[in-house]
Amino acid sequence: MRRLPVLEESLAAVAESIRAGKLSPVEAVERCLQRARKWDGRIRAFITLDEEGALRSARLLEAEAAAGRWRGPLNGVPVGFKDLCHLEGLPTSCGTLMPEYFTSAQACTAARRLLEAGAVSLGKLNMTELALGAFGDNAHHGDADNPWRAGHATGGSSSGSGAGVAAGFFAGAVGSDTGGSIRLPAACCGVVGLKPTYGRVSRAGAMVLSWSMDHLGPLAWTARDVALMLQVMAGRDAADATASRRAVPDYLASIDRGIKDVRVGLPENYFFQAVEAEMADGVRQAARQLQVLGARVVEMRLPDPQHMTDVAMLIARAESSTLHARLLREQPEALQPAVRARLELGMDISAYDYLQALRLRAKLTRAFIRDVFEEVDVLLTPVIPEPAPAWASLKAATVEEFNARSGRFSRLTRPFNGYGLPALSVPCGFTTAGLPMAFQAVGRPFDEGLLLKLGHAYQEATGWHLRRPSL
Amino acid sequence: MTEKQQQQAERASMLGVIERLAGELALAEEPARFIAALEGEDEAPPRA
Repeated sequence: MRRLPVLEESLAAVAESIRAGKLSPVEAVERCLQRARKWDGRIRAFITLDEEGALRSARLLEAEAAAGRWRGPLNGVPVGFKDLCHLEGLPTSCGTLMPEYFTSAQACTAARRLLEAGAVSLGKLNMTELALGAFGDNAHHGDADNPWRAGHATGGSSSGSGAGVAAGFFAGAVGSDTGGSIRLPAACCGVVGLKPTYGRVSRAGAMVLSWSMDHLGPLAWTARDVALMLQVMAGRDAADATASRRAVPDYLASIDRGIKDVRVGLPENYFFQAVEAEMADGVRQAARQLQVLGARVVEMRLPDPQHMTDVAMLIARAESSTLHARLLREQPEALQPAVRARLELGMDISAYDYLQALRLRAKLTRAFIRDVFEEVDVLLTPVIPEPAPAWASLKAATVEEFNARSGRFSRLTRPFNGYGLPALSVPCGFTTAGLPMAFQAVGRPFDEGLLLKLGHAYQEATGWHLRRPSL
Repeated sequence: MTEKQQQQAERASMLGVIERLAGELALAEEPARFIAALEGEDEAPPRA
């Protein structure tokens, strides 16, 4: 890996360079396109690389700027969108070969807000088929490859979002997260990823996998970058009944204020069980660093998260099978075997079990918020139980083994889809094999600001985010 | 135990946990209380 002298390739730095006139939107887009042309044959971050559209948008922004018009804080910044976000003029595959199943009259609200703030779309990004899977495999569009180490998974399902940021193909990306699909690729690819509170970011115009568990969120190099994107993406939306009406706070206003006396909880149960020692040590080391920065770190016992894992899994299975029943009925052979098997698992869940799970979710969430956040302000856990696995080992597995391993890989992220709590994945070093490690910071509902502040303080103190993979 | 059997056993275990926990739910517990919990607007429902 090479080390950058400054944060010049972070989204915030690109935005600042453009604002200062040191970099034009066309130059920024050209630079990203050059990297994508050179390396995407290996990384496979894109499903649709929209070179023409990106350059057209960048030229328009330059013309507007010359005429004194500035769209917003992301003016000219190159970004990418998971290929389940509907954008005008581009197909949406949802990781399948059947985009005709996924047409929408409505553009993705979160994506539209980023573009209205001046961001330039480079295209649509690779993902696990139907967003069902934790590793980033895709038989139709190619398995996304980890920029830090060839032949290793990127994490999924927002595989292209994580890998593309890490590879320098764009400065930020939008992913979706139903059981960990933003945080897993962020952790595997060494970038920051945020699953916001349920309802903080509208899901309108994005493929639904599970009404109850889906979240959209940003991935980028730094917590500051993610704060910039969230600021634009978040907020009420008449097109999504689940979007919260709460006002969106100014995340950047408080991001530099430090974490003195913030109470950080390290779970004694569940989250450090069945986690590889190197990964667990990396997270504990990050906790010590937070302590140095003024946080008060305590060990604590949590209400058993396994209950919510089971509840969230059952709800997601029932909803995803219902949503994609037509596809499963009409073209089962067009789906990857592992994806088909996962959809089939949800077909025989009874209404009784599904409704009990929804009722339990409410009770478990109330209890978790009460019991945990009386004691601490932030929970700190690993994101992934092991570093990004080698594709060869994953491909050697049977369908059942593969799906079981996928379930284990997302067991540390899935509970927070159930609880609906905000969860931020932050890189915290590398394994001896050179693969990224990460911690997950989890906060009270709608307290994304504190998580971003914590992530920012940690990154400023450690500098892991300044490293880049050698492609 | 085959992988298929293992999968079935895991599913049965998951449903068993949910069944056991659901037995302790108050009658007034309903799915919408999840959003209320996030918005800080909800107290535990009465047990009756």
